[in-house]
Amino acid sequence: MLREQFPGLNVQVHGKPLVYLDNAATAQRPQAVLDAINDYYLNHNANIHRGVHALSESATVLYEQARVSMAKLINAPTMKDLIFVRGCTEGVNLVAQTFVRNRLKAGDEILISHLEHHSNIVPWQILCEQTGAVLKVIPMNQLGELELDDLDQLINEKTRFMSVVHVSNSLGTINPVKKMVQAAHDKGVPVLVDGAQATPHIKVDVQDLDCDFYTVSGHKMYGPTGSGVLYGKTEHLNSMPPYHGGGEMISKVTFESTVYNAVPAKFEAGTPNIAGGIGLGAAAEFILAAGIDKISARDHQLRVYTEQALKQVSGLSIIGNAKEKSPVFSFVIDGVHAHDIGTIIDHCGVAVRTGHHCTMPIFQYYGLAGTCRASLAFYNTEQDVDVLVESLLKAKTMFQ
Amino acid sequence: MTDLNQLYKKAILEHNRNPRNYGKPESWTHYAEGLNAICGDLVEVYLSIQDGVLETVHYSGESCAIAMASASMMTELSTGLTTVDWQQKFGLFKRLMDKNNAINSFDELGEVNTLVTVKKFPSRIKSATLCWYAVDAAIKGVGTATTE
Repeated sequence: MLREQFPGLNVQVHGKPLVYLDNAATAQRPQAVLDAINDYYLNHNANIHRGVHALSESATVLYEQARVSMAKLINAPTMKDLIFVRGCTEGVNLVAQTFVRNRLKAGDEILISHLEHHSNIVPWQILCEQTGAVLKVIPMNQLGELELDDLDQLINEKTRFMSVVHVSNSLGTINPVKKMVQAAHDKGVPVLVDGAQATPHIKVDVQDLDCDFYTVSGHKMYGPTGSGVLYGKTEHLNSMPPYHGGGEMISKVTFESTVYNAVPAKFEAGTPNIAGGIGLGAAAEFILAAGIDKISARDHQLRVYTEQALKQVSGLSIIGNAKEKSPVFSFVIDGVHAHDIGTIIDHCGVAVRTGHHCTMPIFQYYGLAGTCRASLAFYNTEQDVDVLVESLLKAKTMFQ
Repeated sequence: MTDLNQLYKKAILEHNRNPRNYGKPESWTHYAEGLNAICGDLVEVYLSIQDGVLETVHYSGESCAIAMASASMMTELSTGLTTVDWQQKFGLFKRLMDKNNAINSFDELGEVNTLVTVKKFPSRIKSATLCWYAVDAAIKGVGTATTE
Protein backbone atom coordinates (compact mmCIF):
# COMPACT_ATOMS: atom_id res chain seq x y z
CA MET A 1 0.00 0.00 0.00
CA LEU A 2 1.38 3.38 -1.00
CA ARG A 3 -0.47 5.04 1.89
CA GLU A 4 1.69 3.19 4.39
CA GLN A 5 4.72 4.99 3.02
CA PHE A 6 3.41 8.29 4.42
CA PRO A 7 4.21 8.29 8.16
CA GLY A 8 2.73 11.78 8.62
CA LEU A 9 -0.73 10.31 8.14
CA ASN A 10 -0.42 8.24 11.32
CA VAL A 11 -0.77 11.05 13.85
CA GLN A 12 -3.75 11.68 16.10
CA VAL A 13 -5.49 15.05 16.24
CA HIS A 14 -7.65 15.88 19.28
CA GLY A 15 -7.49 12.18 20.12
CA LYS A 16 -8.84 11.16 16.70
CA PRO A 17 -6.98 9.61 13.77
CA LEU A 18 -5.92 12.30 11.33
CA VAL A 19 -8.01 12.65 8.18
CA TYR A 20 -5.75 14.80 6.06
CA LEU A 21 -7.72 16.63 3.38
CA ASP A 22 -5.54 19.70 2.99
CA ASN A 23 -3.25 18.36 0.31
CA ALA A 24 -3.63 21.38 -1.95
CA ALA A 25 -2.08 23.49 0.83
CA THR A 26 0.75 21.05 1.32
CA ALA A 27 0.95 17.29 0.78
CA GLN A 28 2.34 14.68 3.12
CA ARG A 29 5.81 13.27 2.33
CA PRO A 30 6.67 9.62 1.80
CA GLN A 31 9.36 7.95 3.89
CA ALA A 32 11.67 7.94 0.85
CA VAL A 33 11.69 11.75 0.84
CA LEU A 34 12.34 11.95 4.57
CA ASP A 35 15.12 9.37 4.22
CA ALA A 36 16.74 11.27 1.35
CA ILE A 37 16.82 14.48 3.41
CA ASN A 38 18.24 12.65 6.43
CA ASP A 39 20.77 10.80 4.30
CA TYR A 40 22.13 14.08 3.00
CA TYR A 41 22.49 15.60 6.46
CA LEU A 42 23.85 12.41 8.02
CA ASN A 43 26.11 11.02 5.30
CA HIS A 44 26.85 13.72 2.70
CA ASN A 45 26.66 17.00 4.59
CA ALA A 46 28.72 19.48 2.57
CA ASN A 47 28.25 22.42 0.27
CA ILE A 48 27.83 21.63 -3.42
CA HIS A 49 29.63 22.72 -6.59
CA ARG A 50 32.55 23.99 -4.53
CA GLY A 51 34.80 21.66 -2.62
CA VAL A 52 37.11 19.00 -3.92
CA HIS A 53 36.57 16.83 -0.87
CA ALA A 54 34.61 13.62 -1.02
CA LEU A 55 31.49 14.82 0.76
CA SER A 56 31.16 17.89 -1.43
CA GLU A 57 31.40 15.70 -4.48
CA SER A 58 28.84 13.18 -3.27
CA ALA A 59 26.45 15.94 -2.18
CA THR A 60 26.81 17.56 -5.61
CA VAL A 61 26.04 14.26 -7.30
CA LEU A 62 22.90 13.80 -5.20
CA TYR A 63 21.72 17.34 -5.91
CA GLU A 64 22.28 17.05 -9.65
CA GLN A 65 20.65 13.63 -9.70
CA ALA A 66 17.58 15.29 -8.23
CA ARG A 67 17.59 17.71 -11.16
CA VAL A 68 17.70 14.72 -13.52
CA SER A 69 14.75 13.12 -11.70
CA MET A 70 12.71 16.30 -11.98
CA ALA A 71 13.57 16.63 -15.68
CA LYS A 72 12.33 13.07 -16.16
CA LEU A 73 9.12 13.76 -14.24
CA ILE A 74 8.10 16.69 -16.46
CA ASN A 75 9.87 15.37 -19.58
CA ALA A 76 12.20 18.34 -19.98
CA PRO A 77 14.61 17.88 -22.90
CA THR A 78 17.62 18.37 -20.64
CA MET A 79 18.26 18.76 -16.93
CA LYS A 80 19.96 22.08 -17.73
CA ASP A 81 16.56 23.58 -18.49
CA LEU A 82 15.60 23.22 -14.83
CA ILE A 83 16.41 25.88 -12.26
CA PHE A 84 16.00 25.03 -8.59
CA VAL A 85 13.78 27.61 -6.90
CA ARG A 86 11.94 27.87 -3.58
CA GLY A 87 8.65 27.13 -5.25
CA CYS A 88 6.28 28.39 -7.93
CA THR A 89 6.13 31.87 -6.40
CA GLU A 90 9.85 32.38 -6.94
CA GLY A 91 9.61 30.82 -10.40
CA VAL A 92 6.92 33.28 -11.52
CA ASN A 93 8.77 36.27 -10.06
CA LEU A 94 12.00 35.17 -11.72
CA VAL A 95 10.36 34.97 -15.15
CA ALA A 96 8.49 38.25 -14.65
CA GLN A 97 11.64 40.16 -13.78
CA THR A 98 14.24 38.55 -16.03
CA PHE A 99 12.32 37.46 -19.13
CA VAL A 100 9.21 39.61 -19.41
CA ARG A 101 10.31 42.93 -17.95
CA ASN A 102 12.78 43.76 -20.72
CA ARG A 103 10.13 43.13 -23.35
CA LEU A 104 7.55 45.55 -21.96
CA LYS A 105 6.72 49.12 -22.64
CA ALA A 106 3.80 51.17 -21.33
CA GLY A 107 0.49 49.98 -22.73
CA ASP A 108 1.67 46.43 -23.46
CA GLU A 109 -0.47 43.65 -22.06
CA ILE A 110 0.13 40.60 -19.90
CA LEU A 111 -2.59 37.98 -19.93
CA ILE A 112 -3.48 35.81 -16.93
CA SER A 113 -6.69 33.98 -16.01
CA HIS A 114 -9.40 34.45 -13.40
CA LEU A 115 -8.38 31.14 -11.80
CA GLU A 116 -4.90 32.24 -10.75
CA HIS A 117 -3.42 31.90 -7.28
CA HIS A 118 -2.27 35.24 -5.89
CA SER A 119 1.28 34.10 -6.69
CA ASN A 120 0.44 34.31 -10.40
CA ILE A 121 -1.33 37.67 -10.08
CA VAL A 122 0.75 39.86 -7.79
CA PRO A 123 4.16 39.43 -9.54
CA TRP A 124 2.50 40.64 -12.75
CA GLN A 125 0.84 43.57 -11.00
CA ILE A 126 4.25 44.58 -9.64
CA LEU A 127 5.67 44.30 -13.16
CA CYS A 128 2.82 46.41 -14.53
CA GLU A 129 3.56 49.10 -11.93
CA GLN A 130 7.22 49.02 -12.94
CA THR A 131 6.60 49.25 -16.67
CA GLY A 132 3.17 50.76 -17.29
CA ALA A 133 1.98 47.50 -18.83
CA VAL A 134 -1.63 46.40 -18.37
CA LEU A 135 -2.90 43.16 -16.83
CA LYS A 136 -5.68 41.38 -18.74
CA VAL A 137 -7.70 38.45 -17.43
CA ILE A 138 -9.23 35.45 -19.19
CA PRO A 139 -12.74 35.18 -17.67
CA MET A 140 -14.24 32.16 -15.89
CA ASN A 141 -17.76 30.74 -15.77
CA GLN A 142 -20.06 29.41 -13.04
CA LEU A 143 -18.63 25.90 -13.38
CA GLY A 144 -15.21 27.22 -12.55
CA GLU A 145 -13.90 26.71 -16.08
CA LEU A 146 -12.12 29.31 -18.16
CA GLU A 147 -14.16 30.95 -20.93
CA LEU A 148 -11.86 30.43 -23.88
CA ASP A 149 -14.20 31.39 -26.72
CA ASP A 150 -12.74 34.88 -26.84
CA LEU A 151 -9.14 33.87 -26.18
CA ASP A 152 -8.14 34.85 -29.70
CA GLN A 153 -9.41 38.38 -29.07
CA LEU A 154 -7.74 38.58 -25.67
CA ILE A 155 -4.40 37.67 -27.21
CA ASN A 156 -3.80 40.71 -29.41
CA GLU A 157 -0.93 42.69 -30.88
CA LYS A 158 -0.26 44.29 -27.47
CA THR A 159 0.03 40.98 -25.61
CA ARG A 160 3.62 40.27 -24.64
CA PHE A 161 3.20 37.31 -22.28
CA MET A 162 0.62 34.88 -20.96
CA SER A 163 0.81 33.17 -17.55
CA VAL A 164 -1.85 30.61 -16.65
CA VAL A 165 -2.45 28.03 -13.98
CA HIS A 166 -2.53 24.37 -15.01
CA VAL A 167 -4.74 23.14 -12.15
CA SER A 168 -6.71 25.52 -9.90
CA ASN A 169 -5.75 25.18 -6.25
CA SER A 170 -9.12 26.30 -4.94
CA LEU A 171 -11.55 24.67 -7.40
CA GLY A 172 -9.49 21.83 -8.86
CA THR A 173 -10.22 22.84 -12.47
CA ILE A 174 -7.73 21.36 -14.93
CA ASN A 175 -7.24 23.94 -17.65
CA PRO A 176 -6.66 22.98 -21.30
CA VAL A 177 -3.23 24.57 -21.22
CA LYS A 178 -1.89 22.83 -24.33
CA LYS A 179 -4.62 24.45 -26.41
CA MET A 180 -4.01 27.78 -24.71
CA VAL A 181 -0.25 27.64 -25.34
CA GLN A 182 -0.97 26.90 -29.00
CA ALA A 183 -3.33 29.88 -29.25
CA ALA A 184 -0.70 32.17 -27.69
CA HIS A 185 2.13 30.82 -29.84
CA ASP A 186 0.04 31.36 -32.96
CA LYS A 187 0.38 35.05 -32.16
CA GLY A 188 4.01 34.84 -31.07
CA VAL A 189 3.23 35.19 -27.34
CA PRO A 190 5.34 33.14 -24.91
CA VAL A 191 3.59 31.32 -22.07
CA LEU A 192 4.33 30.33 -18.48
CA VAL A 193 2.25 27.53 -16.99
CA ASP A 194 1.95 27.41 -13.17
CA GLY A 195 2.06 23.72 -12.37
CA ALA A 196 1.92 23.87 -8.57
CA GLN A 197 -1.16 21.65 -8.35
CA ALA A 198 -0.51 19.61 -11.49
CA THR A 199 2.51 17.43 -10.76
CA PRO A 200 0.90 15.72 -7.73
CA HIS A 201 -2.13 14.70 -9.80
CA ILE A 202 -1.59 14.51 -13.56
CA LYS A 203 1.05 13.75 -16.14
CA VAL A 204 3.05 16.82 -17.07
CA ASP A 205 5.03 16.85 -20.31
CA VAL A 206 6.55 20.27 -20.95
CA GLN A 207 7.63 19.31 -24.47
CA ASP A 208 4.13 18.20 -25.39
CA LEU A 209 2.62 21.34 -23.84
CA ASP A 210 5.30 23.35 -25.67
CA CYS A 211 5.11 25.99 -22.92
CA ASP A 212 8.01 28.40 -22.61
CA PHE A 213 8.17 28.12 -18.81
CA TYR A 214 6.68 25.72 -16.27
CA THR A 215 6.80 26.05 -12.50
CA VAL A 216 6.76 23.15 -10.03
CA SER A 217 6.27 23.35 -6.27
CA GLY A 218 8.03 20.62 -4.29
CA HIS A 219 5.82 20.50 -1.24
CA LYS A 220 2.62 20.06 -3.24
CA MET A 221 4.06 16.95 -4.89
CA TYR A 222 5.05 15.10 -1.70
CA GLY A 223 8.46 16.79 -1.51
CA PRO A 224 9.98 19.24 0.99
CA THR A 225 8.76 22.79 1.57
CA GLY A 226 10.96 25.49 0.08
CA SER A 227 11.84 23.35 -2.92
CA GLY A 228 10.73 23.56 -6.52
CA VAL A 229 11.90 23.96 -10.08
CA LEU A 230 11.39 26.39 -12.90
CA TYR A 231 11.58 24.84 -16.35
CA GLY A 232 12.43 27.17 -19.22
CA LYS A 233 13.23 26.61 -22.87
CA THR A 234 16.99 26.63 -23.36
CA GLU A 235 17.04 29.62 -25.70
CA HIS A 236 15.06 31.71 -23.21
CA LEU A 237 17.21 30.78 -20.22
CA ASN A 238 20.38 31.56 -22.15
CA SER A 239 19.09 35.00 -23.16
CA MET A 240 17.82 36.02 -19.72
CA PRO A 241 19.89 38.12 -17.29
CA PRO A 242 20.48 36.68 -13.79
CA TYR A 243 17.79 37.11 -11.13
CA HIS A 244 19.94 37.26 -8.00
CA GLY A 245 23.63 38.06 -7.84
CA GLY A 246 25.99 36.14 -5.60
CA GLY A 247 28.17 33.09 -5.36
CA GLU A 248 27.70 30.06 -7.60
CA MET A 249 26.13 32.10 -10.42
CA ILE A 250 29.48 33.49 -11.60
CA SER A 251 32.44 32.17 -13.49
CA LYS A 252 34.76 35.14 -12.89
CA VAL A 253 34.50 38.16 -10.62
CA THR A 254 36.74 41.23 -10.48
CA PHE A 255 35.83 44.63 -9.06
CA GLU A 256 35.47 45.87 -12.61
CA SER A 257 33.13 43.20 -13.96
CA THR A 258 31.66 39.76 -13.55
CA VAL A 259 31.25 36.92 -16.02
CA TYR A 260 28.12 34.92 -15.27
CA ASN A 261 28.06 31.19 -15.02
CA ALA A 262 26.19 29.05 -17.55
CA VAL A 263 22.54 28.04 -17.13
CA PRO A 264 21.22 26.77 -14.73
CA ALA A 265 23.92 27.99 -12.30
CA LYS A 266 23.38 31.57 -13.58
CA PHE A 267 20.02 31.55 -11.78
CA GLU A 268 21.11 29.75 -8.63
CA ALA A 269 22.98 32.35 -6.61
CA GLY A 270 24.12 31.38 -3.13
CA THR A 271 24.07 28.05 -1.35
CA PRO A 272 20.75 26.50 -2.32
CA ASN A 273 18.30 24.42 -0.31
CA ILE A 274 20.46 21.34 -0.85
CA ALA A 275 18.47 18.95 1.34
CA GLY A 276 15.25 20.29 -0.16
CA GLY A 277 16.47 19.73 -3.70
CA ILE A 278 17.58 16.20 -2.89
CA GLY A 279 14.24 15.52 -1.18
CA LEU A 280 12.43 16.88 -4.22
CA GLY A 281 14.33 14.46 -6.43
CA ALA A 282 13.19 11.64 -4.16
CA ALA A 283 9.60 12.85 -4.48
CA ALA A 284 9.90 12.81 -8.27
CA GLU A 285 11.28 9.27 -8.15
CA PHE A 286 8.41 8.30 -5.85
CA ILE A 287 5.82 9.57 -8.35
CA LEU A 288 7.64 7.92 -11.26
CA ALA A 289 7.70 4.60 -9.41
CA ALA A 290 4.06 4.84 -8.25
CA GLY A 291 3.00 5.78 -11.77
CA ILE A 292 1.24 9.07 -12.44
CA ASP A 293 -1.42 7.27 -14.46
CA LYS A 294 -2.29 5.15 -11.44
CA ILE A 295 -2.34 8.27 -9.24
CA SER A 296 -4.68 10.02 -11.68
CA ALA A 297 -6.96 6.97 -11.82
CA ARG A 298 -7.13 6.87 -8.01
CA ASP A 299 -7.84 10.62 -7.96
CA HIS A 300 -10.78 10.00 -10.28
CA GLN A 301 -12.20 7.26 -8.05
CA LEU A 302 -11.93 9.55 -5.05
CA ARG A 303 -13.52 12.42 -6.93
CA VAL A 304 -16.55 10.33 -7.91
CA TYR A 305 -16.91 8.89 -4.40
CA THR A 306 -16.59 12.27 -2.69
CA GLU A 307 -19.07 13.97 -5.00
CA GLN A 308 -21.64 11.32 -4.14
CA ALA A 309 -20.83 11.30 -0.43
CA LEU A 310 -21.16 15.07 -0.04
CA LYS A 311 -24.75 14.82 -1.31
CA GLN A 312 -25.63 13.39 2.12
CA VAL A 313 -25.06 16.84 3.61
CA SER A 314 -28.16 18.91 2.88
CA GLY A 315 -27.50 22.57 2.21
CA LEU A 316 -23.97 21.86 0.97
CA SER A 317 -23.01 23.40 -2.36
CA ILE A 318 -19.82 22.50 -4.18
CA ILE A 319 -18.18 25.57 -5.69
CA GLY A 320 -16.45 24.68 -8.94
CA ASN A 321 -17.81 21.81 -10.97
CA ALA A 322 -15.52 21.75 -13.96
CA LYS A 323 -15.71 18.71 -16.19
CA GLU A 324 -11.97 18.18 -15.84
CA LYS A 325 -10.84 18.59 -12.26
CA SER A 326 -8.58 17.16 -9.61
CA PRO A 327 -10.10 15.81 -6.35
CA VAL A 328 -10.54 19.26 -4.81
CA PHE A 329 -13.87 20.20 -3.26
CA SER A 330 -14.53 23.80 -2.34
CA PHE A 331 -17.89 24.00 -0.63
CA VAL A 332 -20.20 26.10 1.51
CA ILE A 333 -23.01 24.97 3.81
CA ASP A 334 -26.14 27.06 4.36
CA GLY A 335 -26.13 28.66 7.78
CA VAL A 336 -22.66 27.57 8.87
CA HIS A 337 -19.65 29.75 8.10
CA ALA A 338 -16.58 28.05 6.63
CA HIS A 339 -14.36 28.88 9.62
CA ASP A 340 -16.84 27.36 12.04
CA ILE A 341 -16.98 24.21 9.92
CA GLY A 342 -13.19 24.09 9.87
CA THR A 343 -12.94 24.37 13.65
CA ILE A 344 -15.66 21.80 14.35
CA ILE A 345 -14.43 19.15 11.94
CA ASP A 346 -10.85 19.66 13.13
CA HIS A 347 -12.12 18.21 16.42
CA CYS A 348 -13.13 15.11 14.48
CA GLY A 349 -9.54 14.86 13.19
CA VAL A 350 -10.40 16.29 9.77
CA ALA A 351 -7.95 18.83 8.33
CA VAL A 352 -9.34 21.10 5.63
CA ARG A 353 -8.55 24.63 4.54
CA THR A 354 -11.00 27.47 5.07
CA GLY A 355 -11.03 30.93 3.57
CA HIS A 356 -10.14 32.26 0.14
CA HIS A 357 -7.24 29.87 -0.54
CA CYS A 358 -5.08 32.72 -1.92
CA THR A 359 -7.51 33.14 -4.81
CA MET A 360 -9.65 36.09 -3.72
CA PRO A 361 -10.77 37.03 -7.27
CA ILE A 362 -12.37 33.58 -7.71
CA PHE A 363 -14.53 34.06 -4.65
CA GLN A 364 -15.33 37.64 -5.61
CA TYR A 365 -16.73 36.11 -8.81
CA TYR A 366 -18.95 33.79 -6.76
CA GLY A 367 -19.83 36.53 -4.26
CA LEU A 368 -18.34 34.56 -1.38
CA ALA A 369 -15.77 35.53 1.25
CA GLY A 370 -14.43 31.98 1.12
CA THR A 371 -15.18 28.30 1.32
CA CYS A 372 -14.15 25.11 3.03
CA ARG A 373 -11.83 23.14 0.81
CA ALA A 374 -11.27 19.42 1.07
CA SER A 375 -8.37 18.57 -1.22
CA LEU A 376 -7.58 14.89 -1.59
CA ALA A 377 -4.50 12.95 -2.61
CA PHE A 378 -4.21 9.40 -3.88
CA TYR A 379 -3.42 8.13 -0.36
CA ASN A 380 -6.75 9.28 0.99
CA THR A 381 -9.39 6.59 1.47
CA GLU A 382 -13.13 6.30 1.08
CA GLN A 383 -13.19 6.05 4.88
CA ASP A 384 -11.53 9.48 5.09
CA VAL A 385 -14.39 10.85 3.00
CA ASP A 386 -16.95 9.13 5.25
CA VAL A 387 -15.39 10.76 8.32
CA LEU A 388 -15.54 14.11 6.54
CA VAL A 389 -19.25 13.65 5.86
CA GLU A 390 -19.98 12.55 9.45
CA SER A 391 -18.09 15.56 10.80
CA LEU A 392 -19.96 17.95 8.49
CA LEU A 393 -23.27 16.51 9.68
CA LYS A 394 -22.10 17.10 13.24
CA ALA A 395 -21.26 20.73 12.42
CA LYS A 396 -24.72 21.19 10.96
CA THR A 397 -26.33 19.67 14.06
CA MET A 398 -24.41 22.02 16.35
CA PHE A 399 -25.72 25.01 14.44
CA GLN A 400 -29.34 23.87 14.29
CA MET B 1 -19.01 20.06 28.16
CA THR B 2 -16.24 19.64 25.64
CA ASP B 3 -14.17 22.63 24.58
CA LEU B 4 -15.95 22.57 21.24
CA ASN B 5 -19.37 22.72 22.88
CA GLN B 6 -18.08 25.46 25.18
CA LEU B 7 -16.91 27.40 22.15
CA TYR B 8 -20.25 27.10 20.41
CA LYS B 9 -22.38 27.46 23.52
CA LYS B 10 -25.98 28.56 23.22
CA ALA B 11 -25.41 32.25 23.95
CA ILE B 12 -22.88 32.48 21.13
CA LEU B 13 -25.04 30.63 18.63
CA GLU B 14 -28.01 32.80 19.63
CA HIS B 15 -26.06 36.02 19.00
CA ASN B 16 -24.88 34.57 15.69
CA ARG B 17 -28.45 33.86 14.64
CA ASN B 18 -29.88 37.15 15.94
CA PRO B 19 -27.05 39.65 15.89
CA ARG B 20 -27.75 42.89 17.79
CA ASN B 21 -27.07 46.29 16.25
CA TYR B 22 -26.39 44.62 12.92
CA GLY B 23 -26.46 46.52 9.65
CA LYS B 24 -25.45 49.92 8.41
CA PRO B 25 -27.28 52.68 10.32
CA GLU B 26 -28.70 55.81 8.72
CA SER B 27 -26.07 58.03 10.25
CA TRP B 28 -22.82 57.76 12.15
CA THR B 29 -19.85 59.92 13.11
CA HIS B 30 -17.04 57.37 13.09
CA TYR B 31 -16.38 54.43 10.80
CA ALA B 32 -13.72 51.77 10.30
CA GLU B 33 -13.35 48.41 8.62
CA GLY B 34 -11.67 45.41 10.19
CA LEU B 35 -9.79 43.01 7.96
CA ASN B 36 -8.53 39.55 8.69
CA ALA B 37 -6.64 38.90 5.50
CA ILE B 38 -5.89 35.25 6.27
CA CYS B 39 -9.57 34.35 6.61
CA GLY B 40 -10.92 36.98 4.26
CA ASP B 41 -13.14 38.25 7.07
CA LEU B 42 -14.34 41.84 6.80
CA VAL B 43 -16.39 43.71 9.38
CA GLU B 44 -17.44 47.33 9.21
CA VAL B 45 -18.29 49.33 12.31
CA TYR B 46 -20.33 52.54 12.52
CA LEU B 47 -20.22 54.65 15.67
CA SER B 48 -22.10 57.77 16.74
CA ILE B 49 -19.94 59.54 19.29
CA GLN B 50 -21.41 62.60 21.04
CA ASP B 51 -19.41 64.43 23.73
CA GLY B 52 -17.09 61.46 24.11
CA VAL B 53 -19.92 58.97 24.56
CA LEU B 54 -20.66 56.02 22.23
CA GLU B 55 -24.32 56.78 21.59
CA THR B 56 -24.76 53.97 19.06
CA VAL B 57 -22.51 51.16 17.85
CA HIS B 58 -23.44 49.16 14.73
CA TYR B 59 -21.59 46.66 12.61
CA SER B 60 -22.01 44.77 9.36
CA GLY B 61 -20.21 42.06 7.49
CA GLU B 62 -20.32 38.32 6.99
CA SER B 63 -18.14 36.38 9.32
CA CYS B 64 -17.97 33.18 11.31
CA ALA B 65 -20.17 32.62 14.36
CA ILE B 66 -17.40 33.62 16.74
CA ALA B 67 -16.81 36.95 15.00
CA MET B 68 -20.54 37.63 14.64
CA ALA B 69 -21.34 36.81 18.27
CA SER B 70 -18.36 38.75 19.56
CA ALA B 71 -19.36 41.80 17.52
CA SER B 72 -22.97 41.52 18.61
CA MET B 73 -22.05 41.29 22.31
CA MET B 74 -19.48 44.07 21.95
CA THR B 75 -22.07 46.49 20.52
CA GLU B 76 -24.41 45.82 23.45
CA LEU B 77 -21.65 46.29 25.97
CA SER B 78 -20.27 49.42 24.28
CA THR B 79 -23.42 51.45 23.73
CA GLY B 80 -23.57 54.33 26.19
CA LEU B 81 -19.95 54.07 27.33
CA THR B 82 -17.51 56.94 27.21
CA THR B 83 -14.62 56.26 24.86
CA VAL B 84 -12.34 56.20 27.90
CA ASP B 85 -14.45 53.50 29.57
CA TRP B 86 -14.63 51.62 26.27
CA GLN B 87 -10.82 51.56 26.05
CA GLN B 88 -10.68 50.13 29.57
CA LYS B 89 -13.09 47.33 28.58
CA PHE B 90 -11.14 46.70 25.39
CA GLY B 91 -8.06 46.25 27.56
CA LEU B 92 -9.90 43.70 29.69
CA PHE B 93 -11.18 41.88 26.62
CA LYS B 94 -7.65 41.57 25.25
CA ARG B 95 -6.60 40.06 28.57
CA LEU B 96 -9.58 37.68 28.44
CA MET B 97 -8.49 36.54 24.96
CA ASP B 98 -4.82 36.17 25.94
CA LYS B 99 -4.07 32.46 25.86
CA ASN B 100 -1.24 32.97 28.34
CA ASN B 101 -3.63 34.55 30.82
CA ALA B 102 -5.52 32.18 33.13
CA ILE B 103 -8.24 34.71 34.04
CA ASN B 104 -11.60 33.36 32.92
CA SER B 105 -13.85 36.36 33.40
CA PHE B 106 -14.06 40.03 34.29
CA ASP B 107 -17.24 41.27 35.93
CA GLU B 108 -17.07 44.43 33.80
CA LEU B 109 -17.43 42.38 30.58
CA GLY B 110 -20.75 40.70 31.40
CA GLU B 111 -21.96 38.35 28.66
CA VAL B 112 -18.78 38.93 26.66
CA ASN B 113 -17.14 36.52 29.12
CA THR B 114 -18.92 33.65 27.33
CA LEU B 115 -16.27 34.05 24.61
CA VAL B 116 -13.50 32.96 26.99
CA THR B 117 -13.19 29.47 25.45
CA VAL B 118 -12.02 31.07 22.20
CA LYS B 119 -8.55 31.39 23.72
CA LYS B 120 -8.26 27.60 23.68
CA PHE B 121 -8.57 27.86 19.87
CA PRO B 122 -5.61 30.09 18.99
CA SER B 123 -6.47 30.22 15.29
CA ARG B 124 -9.85 31.74 16.19
CA ILE B 125 -8.77 34.48 18.61
CA LYS B 126 -8.51 36.94 15.74
CA SER B 127 -12.11 36.18 14.79
CA ALA B 128 -13.25 37.29 18.24
CA THR B 129 -11.07 40.39 18.46
CA LEU B 130 -11.57 41.75 14.91
CA CYS B 131 -14.62 43.90 15.65
CA TRP B 132 -13.04 45.30 18.81
CA TYR B 133 -9.96 46.41 16.88
CA ALA B 134 -12.25 47.94 14.27
CA VAL B 135 -14.06 50.04 16.90
CA ASP B 136 -10.72 51.05 18.37
CA ALA B 137 -9.61 52.17 14.90
CA ALA B 138 -12.86 54.08 14.34
CA ILE B 139 -12.54 55.93 17.67
CA LYS B 140 -8.96 56.86 16.78
CA GLY B 141 -9.98 57.97 13.29
CA VAL B 142 -8.04 55.23 11.54
CA GLY B 143 -9.91 53.78 8.56
CA THR B 144 -8.76 50.19 8.73
CA ALA B 145 -7.84 47.74 11.45
CA THR B 146 -6.22 44.39 10.80
CA THR B 147 -5.63 41.51 13.15
CA GLU B 148 -2.57 40.27 11.31
